[in-house]
Amino acid sequence: MLAVELQGIWKRFPGVIANSNINLKVEQGSVHAIVGENGAGKSTLMKILYGMQRADEGTISVNGKIVEFDSPSDSIEVGIGMVHQHFMLADNFTVLENVVLGSEPTKAGSIDFAAAKSRISEISDSYGLEIDADALVGDLGVGDRQRVEILKVLYRGARILILDEPTAVLVPHEVDELFEALRGLKSEGITVIFISHKLDEVLQIADEITVIRRGTTVATLNQKTQTVTAEQLAELMVGSELPTPETRGSTVTEQVVLLVSELTSVNSDGKAEISDLSFKIHAGEILGIAGVEGNGQSELVEAIMGTRAATGSIWINDQDASKLGTRKRRELGVAYIPEDRSRLALLLDAPLWENRILGHQTQAPNAKGIRLTPKLTKMDTKRIIQEFDVRTPGIDVLASALSGGNQQKFIVGREMSGNPILLIASHPTRGVDVGAQAAIWDELRAAREKGLAVLLISADLDELIGMSDSIKVILRGKFVADADPATVTPQQLGNAMTGALKAAN
Amino acid sequence: MTAVLSILKSGASRKVKFLALFIAVLATLSLVRMWADVLDLTSRGTISAALGLAVPIGLAGLGGLWAERAGVVNIGLEGMMILGTFGAGWLGWQYGPWAGLLGAILFGLLGGGIFALATVTFGVDQIIAGTAINILGLGFAQFFAKIAFSKAPGGGPTQSPSISALPTFTFDRLSDPLVSLHGKGYFIISELAGLISGVFFRLSILTVFSAGLFAATAFILWRTPFGLRLRSVGENPHAADSLGVNVYLYKYIGVLTSGVMAALGGAFLAIAASGVYREGQTGGRGFIGLATMIFGNWRPGGTAIGAGLFGYIDALRLRDANGTAMRAIVLLGALALIVLAILAIRKKRYQVVFGLGITAAVLISWFLLTTALPREVALVAPYLATLLVLAFASQRLRPPAADGIPYRKGESK
Repeated sequence: MLAVELQGIWKRFPGVIANSNINLKVEQGSVHAIVGENGAGKSTLMKILYGMQRADEGTISVNGKIVEFDSPSDSIEVGIGMVHQHFMLADNFTVLENVVLGSEPTKAGSIDFAAAKSRISEISDSYGLEIDADALVGDLGVGDRQRVEILKVLYRGARILILDEPTAVLVPHEVDELFEALRGLKSEGITVIFISHKLDEVLQIADEITVIRRGTTVATLNQKTQTVTAEQLAELMVGSELPTPETRGSTVTEQVVLLVSELTSVNSDGKAEISDLSFKIHAGEILGIAGVEGNGQSELVEAIMGTRAATGSIWINDQDASKLGTRKRRELGVAYIPEDRSRLALLLDAPLWENRILGHQTQAPNAKGIRLTPKLTKMDTKRIIQEFDVRTPGIDVLASALSGGNQQKFIVGREMSGNPILLIASHPTRGVDVGAQAAIWDELRAAREKGLAVLLISADLDELIGMSDSIKVILRGKFVADADPATVTPQQLGNAMTGALKAAN
Repeated sequence: MTAVLSILKSGASRKVKFLALFIAVLATLSLVRMWADVLDLTSRGTISAALGLAVPIGLAGLGGLWAERAGVVNIGLEGMMILGTFGAGWLGWQYGPWAGLLGAILFGLLGGGIFALATVTFGVDQIIAGTAINILGLGFAQFFAKIAFSKAPGGGPTQSPSISALPTFTFDRLSDPLVSLHGKGYFIISELAGLISGVFFRLSILTVFSAGLFAATAFILWRTPFGLRLRSVGENPHAADSLGVNVYLYKYIGVLTSGVMAALGGAFLAIAASGVYREGQTGGRGFIGLATMIFGNWRPGGTAIGAGLFGYIDALRLRDANGTAMRAIVLLGALALIVLAILAIRKKRYQVVFGLGITAAVLISWFLLTTALPREVALVAPYLATLLVLAFASQRLRPPAADGIPYRKGESK
């Protein structure tokens, strides 16, 4: 029995075809994943299925019957519920208030709180969601909130759940909890459509996997009847072999570009976030910093960039930069890819070409003396878009309109402009799709070959081992081990990161 | 005092907590009355006057609450109130007080409608639109008052002819014996007697009606599906929209109700308090109403208590011939600060304790060194109280999360 069947769905927007000839069959009571790169058309497809947008062509069938949706209320009526990537919850409301909103049970004109509560705990118990109806949503963690969202759609009688990138906001153990809950739903006969680009998670939870590439469905794989691998999925997603992070040959030179000694930074409580860090990076060398997040990596980067007070010395290209402000340091030739691109690297509500200026506001081609030169900036923005394959309709669109991968490619392009000598890359491929990831690795390799010194911080151990010429392990603000990327395994590195054992070398 | 605090901290029901707080307030009043020797602090006249002064402020606050719960900051309350006084005066002197009320409601809808059009439909900055409403309301009333009242018998360009009075209730059999009980000066009992006698003395039907509006607001907004939806629009309109709540409609309802409530506050001033429309009659009560709403944590009960506080201090000021009541107010303020200081000690916020202690000490020595104080002290007292509440309770205040943010359908984050 098919819960959902889509046949020949087309959706065109001015200038782009978002979906072309989509065909999808979802079995009832299964977890069906839809994977694809950012911008492949997953979200549009789900909006069509949820009634937020109308398809130009094609048919939607739910439980064997052809349906037409004008708005989400139509799809809710046939039992489809959507859990949005950004939660739609009111923090000042209780779980109960959030759940019943819009379809409140009433008794003599007022809300029947008792009935609502027993209904909510009934649903929560039968699917193992473990939600307290009286808790204030503002007090709940991210994982709990997500389960409240699921509860919300189940309360409305949904039998088919669409989850849009549900793990994007979760930490690993919350992901496990979510999957536990999804298995519970499945066993009760609920159909789950799971959108993601995280392949390992998809392989963990999905019964069937449909791959979308450039707006069209390219394959459906069934995990029950065949073995599916991440490589196989990735190849289907990007249409070519899965990129791997690796560098060839050594380009390390004798010239020291960054020399840091005894760098220490103390927070407002008097606790040392980083203490006594000393290292050097040569031209043509990538130094990787491995560590469990929150062990001083962000503080180290901030101290080098001059956005955090620190003692010790920082020399960039034989110049003492310890006393310089952030702008002066950048003018020495420091390129910076921050860990949180939307907060630290972009003005989301400004057009792309204005974002080109950020961090280079005193340098050509953005400025001449005290005057900005928008014409030159715009020309250069176009160059970046071409050279770095940033997919955008133009340079006047707001930065927020770009997908994460394209934002990151734009940032890399901006930072690599103006011949930098040192690149600080904090989680450069976090939250971007496979295609953008490959492009960014290419750029890092190119930078290394051009003779830049690169400081790479990443939580992705394969990336760290593949890209780095040497690796230092940071734990509680101190370097605890060195590792040779040629010989170290991710497991050894992981052990060193948690302090379990000294890394091999 | 500490006993009361521990009750408030405990898991006792809200009724018990409220009762404990009420008794504590009465006890404090009683102590101050004895120490400062001012019987008028809780006399029938004071309480009755306080009630009359609290109602228009409270209604303005309730108006603010309806708008802000729907996510619209309404600083145009003053202008809407002025429209209400004019509406009440214009229809009131011609067709009687009930028609005056209707007039106020209509003009409140007018003010609220313009404000809703600007802020909800066109997404204009709410502070700017509210300021415009204040200017517009004043100008409108002045202009049309000149036309409507200049040639009317007993009227003038800035004043309407008198409006006939609405019925008031006096329960002499209950009120009079209580007054004599109050005169005996027993601890707490006299305060209670004064309070009850004041409430049931020349009680305007409009006051009863207003109390009903508070209760109705609490019930509608917190107990009905309609109210949940209206509040959801003020908390997270995108979430509300995704569940099929018509955000624009609920915002309109909130803002229009806000206009009506504020205008009714104006009508109370014109009909019950003075019997005429007079220019400048509102005297900034719309703004004070907004302050009481914040004082009351965007809730009807808290707003009512805030309005009561403002009304009470204003009543004392008006009745205080020789400045002795003002002197008592200083002592009351000092005691309130000491209570806050005790709370701050428990939270280990010693800088705050130090500041409060110094201020309380200054106030107590001021009290001990003088025998009478200028009435003007009372003018700042309520504002000072609001500032203190904002300063010390700001972490616990819970304004609607999407308050003041213009909503555009489809533009979610």
